[in-house]
Amino acid sequence: MPPKQVKGEYIETDTGNKVSRKSNILGSQNIILGGKTIIQADCTIRGDLRRAGAPGQHGNVAIAVGRYCFFARSSVLKPPGKTHRGAFSFYPMKLGDHVFIGEGAVVEAAMVGNFVHIGAGAVIGKFAIIKDCVRIEEGTVVAPHTVIPPFSRVAGRPGVVVEELPETAQESLELKQLYRVI
Amino acid sequence: MAPKSRLSESAAARPPAILSPTILISDVAQLTGTHLIRVGNHTAVHPRCRINSSAGPITIGDYCILNERTQIIAPDERGIVLENYVVVETNAVVEAQRVGEGSVIEVGAKIGKGAVVGKNCKFTPLTTVADGEVVEDDTVVWGFGSRRKDMSGSKEARRKLVERQVEGLKAVIPSNRAKFMS
Repeated sequence: MPPKQVKGEYIETDTGNKVSRKSNILGSQNIILGGKTIIQADCTIRGDLRRAGAPGQHGNVAIAVGRYCFFARSSVLKPPGKTHRGAFSFYPMKLGDHVFIGEGAVVEAAMVGNFVHIGAGAVIGKFAIIKDCVRIEEGTVVAPHTVIPPFSRVAGRPGVVVEELPETAQESLELKQLYRVI
Repeated sequence: MAPKSRLSESAAARPPAILSPTILISDVAQLTGTHLIRVGNHTAVHPRCRINSSAGPITIGDYCILNERTQIIAPDERGIVLENYVVVETNAVVEAQRVGEGSVIEVGAKIGKGAVVGKNCKFTPLTTVADGEVVEDDTVVWGFGSRRKDMSGSKEARRKLVERQVEGLKAVIPSNRAKFMS
């Protein structure tokens, strides 16, 4: 038997994504990672829930993720689904750059903008749209189909905008430093 | 070598199961325990859903949807019954004695040991029901333990939607019923 190889926790791809060996990624052919994204252990990504029917001009992308995103332990990303004209289908989910998803958070949003921080244990409902520079506090429940405007801080159950963020918020929401640490 | 030994372990601990020929059960769903697990027609069991019958038998009705990372655990020897059209979302933990027809348990909700849930109830994300509690029909539990009655009268329409959703899921999730038949 060959000597046991020493393996790190993360597999690094050509574009600098670091994906934990202990993450549960289903349907990886339908997931696009922009690069320098970190996926931690026990994180579940449901790429298998793709749009019904034949692949369109962009193929069957279920989840598209930007650069410098961070998915903490036990977080779940799942494309939203609904019944439209009598047929149930999942719809693609888009995440921007510098999106942080905290431990145990469940995201079923249709779109998440750039520089978004989703706290640990938060739940983002189906087809929610979150614009740029938003901070969602820990344990927040964002109702399905909600639209969160840019530069807002969201908390509560159901989640509402409790405060506006200053224009300098983007700097504090950047994740380049975090990528270097891991 | 590790994955191989894990497989044989799960084979040894496989509980007796009666699965309808029309169910959709993912390859990576986990059925554990020693008591009987019975699953009705057209029920969808997502990947990484955990059903544990160590303490008692589990009966799941027709057209139920059990999402990823849910845990269905029999609380005691009387077991647990999920009636027809029950939807259990991601991260939810159900240890109830009975969950009534058409109830929806959303993301991360917890139903305590031996609780009895009525028909058409809804538990919004991250809500909890105490051990042994009895929840009346048509109750909606939301926010931080608030409750109200659902007067919308959309029960029949909701059943249709669940049926459609199961049909949609059959198109995207490969089923492997044979794996769980002993």
